[in-house]
Amino acid sequence: MSKYSDDYSPAEMVCVAVAREIEDGDILILGSFTPLAFVSYVLAKVTHAPNIMYMAYSSVDAGPFQLTFGTYEAAATKGGVARWNMTECIHSLYLGVGVDVEPISSIQIDGNGNMNLSVVGDYQKPMLRGPGGAGAPEVVKLHRKMLGYFPSHNKRTLVPKVDFITGTRWKISNQERLKAGLRPGPMKLITNLAVLTKEEEGRPFRIASVHPGITVNDVVNNTGFELEVAKDVPETEKPTKEQIRILREQVDPYGMVAFDFMPGKERPAYLKSILEKEIKALGC
Amino acid sequence: MSTRDRVLNQNKVAKLTDIGKLIKDGDSVAVGGAWLSSHPMALVRQIIRSGIKNLHLMTILGSVDIDMLVGAGCAERLMFSFVSMEAYGLPPNFRRAVEKGNLKIDEISGLAIIIGFEATGRGVPFLPYRGPSGSDFLKQRPDFYKQIKCPFTGEDMMAIPAIKPDVAIIHAQRADAAGSIQIEGTAGSDLELAKAAKKVIVTVEEIVPTDVLRENPFKTKIPRFYVDMVIEQPFGAHPTSLVPSYVGDPWHMMKYMEMAASPESFKNYLEQYVMKSEDEYLEAIGGLKQTNLLKKLAREVKSL
Repeated sequence: MSKYSDDYSPAEMVCVAVAREIEDGDILILGSFTPLAFVSYVLAKVTHAPNIMYMAYSSVDAGPFQLTFGTYEAAATKGGVARWNMTECIHSLYLGVGVDVEPISSIQIDGNGNMNLSVVGDYQKPMLRGPGGAGAPEVVKLHRKMLGYFPSHNKRTLVPKVDFITGTRWKISNQERLKAGLRPGPMKLITNLAVLTKEEEGRPFRIASVHPGITVNDVVNNTGFELEVAKDVPETEKPTKEQIRILREQVDPYGMVAFDFMPGKERPAYLKSILEKEIKALGC
Repeated sequence: MSTRDRVLNQNKVAKLTDIGKLIKDGDSVAVGGAWLSSHPMALVRQIIRSGIKNLHLMTILGSVDIDMLVGAGCAERLMFSFVSMEAYGLPPNFRRAVEKGNLKIDEISGLAIIIGFEATGRGVPFLPYRGPSGSDFLKQRPDFYKQIKCPFTGEDMMAIPAIKPDVAIIHAQRADAAGSIQIEGTAGSDLELAKAAKKVIVTVEEIVPTDVLRENPFKTKIPRFYVDMVIEQPFGAHPTSLVPSYVGDPWHMMKYMEMAASPESFKNYLEQYVMKSEDEYLEAIGGLKQTNLLKKLAREVKSL
């Protein structure tokens, strides 16, 4: 019997693909509320990477915890071995020793590895004002591995040129990164369709793998920038039955990973249903 | 108050209605907390109640705090790196104001804002760091980011100017009457705000005798020589969290998002929840039953 699962959602596929990018010994950090990143970290920690260290809110080296909606921050805090405020985190981790991986999403990304979290349209008179970059302007450049995750792979998100560069990888190849005093490491985009990777300046993103059931054409037709396509593009490794079991039974029993993959309009009702289940389970 | 006055003043206890003595129309006000955590929401509501206007707000990672002040018409300008309601969506009042051109913005990176506050706290006019190379912020805001050479190694560095708020507003767990502040859980860069601001107002869940602080001195993060006023205000961070004391209130956040969806319904929000006393506010959000639930949820967490 195969160890791989055939019963998984697009969100679980992306979550497992992100978790697989995490290597044992990595230092990870959570920015703002991103359920998918949380779930990937905890999945990695309880499976192949037990020694990773993550910062969640002000909690240093939090243990594995169950992702809920109402209590995730309290859970991360309770499990930590120390408290660091945001300044200590950025000094030590963003600017000092350096973070290995932090999955980041954005409103737009282009073929040069530029990410836009600021505006759609003209900066001064935007059609859509986004949230802003928080730490992204620096960390897209500084982190060892740059992981972008995109729940909806389409030409509105993967664009020829971003409307505003909030943050960028800046130096791409390991050689150029080392020359600029940065740690070498890849830039990868994990989407609901594929894994894309950029390895050199002036060279397009390459399709590293397509998810099961997706064709190379699906990926090319939904990408607004040029892609490098090899003769034989491999299939993304499916989630294993064990990974799916751990996700659903332990790490994410309420299905928080699905949240990012849902249209905005459906989210409030989904959050309400998760809250109800959570409260019931706690006997509150 | 000068630092000496702050040290001499052993009783900084005040009421919410006293904040007008320290915050004036047109002041720059740095708002504490981060994400949807530990924002000084009772102070935010009091600023709105007091009708203080034309503020130059500053936030590193803002959310409902900034959205509410902008929606109530208290802000003329906003320095920020991030304003988001996270799981609940984009901040409706902030979006409307920026998209219609009704709010002047200084958008820079979060690290730059923190470093700008730190420069003021250390008494230097700028601090260098490895900044956001390649970002459009460098072109757009040369007044915040300047390329300099390290005088020792010749390396390229980014310089950030000292940022100097008139007032910082902060919410925390505990203080004594002299204004030493304990923070137990999630903490933004509130200490840097306190070091940078000319005046510092802190609300706390409880004001306790100094000996209580001495029982857990490692929790005291802001010593009294940075603080001008302390106000006891339980649930002063609501609807944001104050972990490990209580979690954020998802039910109220959803209510907020519904009512902030249009300027008209947001007026009703302000009438129903803000333009009354904090005691009435806590009744309106569900009273003791709700606040006890939020406390309980902060304790009932699942480790694996």
